[in-house]
Amino acid sequence: MQLRHFFRSSYFLRPSFLVAAAALMVATANVNTAAADSSDDDQTSTDRTEKAVSKPSKKAAETAPEDTAIKRIGTEIAGYLDTDHVNVLTPSINAGIENVSGASLNASYLVDVVSAASADIVSTASNRWQEVRQAGGLGAQYKPHDLGVGVGGSVSSEPDYLSVGFFATLVKDFDEKNWTLTFGYGYSHDTAGRCGDNGQCTPFSVFSRDLQRGSFNAGIAWVVDRASLASLTADLIVENGDQSKVYRYIPMFAPNVAGNVPLGASYDWVNANRLPERPLEQLPLERRRFALTARYAHRYEASTLRLEERFYSDDWGLVASSSDGRWIFDLGKRFALWPHARLHVQKGVSFWERAYISGPGGSNGDAWNLPLYRTGDRELGPLWTVEGGGGLKWYLGSDAEPRTWQLGFSADAMYSAYLDDLYITNRSGYLGAITLEVEW
Amino acid sequence: MGPRIILLPLVLVALGTVGCSHVAPYERGKLAHPMMTADDLEGPAAAHVLAVHEGATGGGSLSESGCGCN
Repeated sequence: MQLRHFFRSSYFLRPSFLVAAAALMVATANVNTAAADSSDDDQTSTDRTEKAVSKPSKKAAETAPEDTAIKRIGTEIAGYLDTDHVNVLTPSINAGIENVSGASLNASYLVDVVSAASADIVSTASNRWQEVRQAGGLGAQYKPHDLGVGVGGSVSSEPDYLSVGFFATLVKDFDEKNWTLTFGYGYSHDTAGRCGDNGQCTPFSVFSRDLQRGSFNAGIAWVVDRASLASLTADLIVENGDQSKVYRYIPMFAPNVAGNVPLGASYDWVNANRLPERPLEQLPLERRRFALTARYAHRYEASTLRLEERFYSDDWGLVASSSDGRWIFDLGKRFALWPHARLHVQKGVSFWERAYISGPGGSNGDAWNLPLYRTGDRELGPLWTVEGGGGLKWYLGSDAEPRTWQLGFSADAMYSAYLDDLYITNRSGYLGAITLEVEW
Repeated sequence: MGPRIILLPLVLVALGTVGCSHVAPYERGKLAHPMMTADDLEGPAAAHVLAVHEGATGGGSLSESGCGCN
């Protein structure tokens, strides 16, 4: 009932969606005009060439400018649930247009409907809550020859959180596109507020915390051989601001108790043994994050292997490795099927503790002697996650161009082990998605 | 431990580059296959789940906004 109402009357009429849709329509008109006027046919895609040649009839070509632009629209409905009582439903749409002169425009919009009664929520004696997040993005790229530029922006909004960002990229091909350099910069500004159990939110003007994020990105991609591609990307992300969660309370323990807190201690155990004080989470106000990502793709006769490895480190002390692989098998012209596996391992931040110690207040008049930094965010602690699943693409287009209509299914299961946490020691999650993509 | 981990892919890249040869445009039939692109096979929901599940980030799109996981 609620979802029907949401589709029928509310979110698709929100200003953020309407602005994105209007911008896409205006840009579509501009790109089509550019395509019609363009005499520069510097294209590298074989598919694009075939489409540009085969699409219009002779009669149409005599009477109207040729429309060689490729338009795409897609939608996805995804669902996630886990054993920590978190459920998420995410419908999304995306659209794009690309012409032979090298101009392209993409837009996306999604909604997250989150319902949660996780261990963190129950431990603070709060009720199950439900929240809706909307996110939209718009991006444009122009790459007429071997040099390209791109710009874009995105907005993510929920009752107690607003994020606005933009990015710019530069791409340069060398040696007949045997290798390519990319550079990018992104900036986002997040505003975090607070809402009560009754759904009433404090205005950002009364209470809010700001987080600024600058992302620097540089990468190289190169042709390894006639069937292999590789790339290496470095990311430096600089965050300034207080990202501590305003809902997350941290239990404190006496020194003689802290060492005996068992892994995965229950709410009842924690409440029976913790000290009366239970301060809010406090994280450092700055963070420098660095990631290096390597990708490799190899095309066999009837299958494609795609591998990815990301190494991550930050100045909070978190070090992580994420390994991801897919092997995509062609099943005739109409289907592609792939297994997927992912392994993520991380060491916790330097100030991570299963049980934080609080002592009597000092001579400065403080009632409690709290640790400077404290967190209960288990994604900042030591953990590993293994994920497995797969996907299927069904190409429903004509015999000549079967990929112009694509129906996709994917399903993954993930198991996380939390190695030094309160409340839970593991979590199993399940993610499924159905996609439909059309190109013309 | 950190610097060694960071250096490992650089070594792999160096080894990979040694084996590279110039591939002419007309020899790239396999490279032009749609599955060889860097496009994600999974949609935004999968990327968001990973962002929330893992303490690490990077390697994705610059256009992402905050996770909104307040």
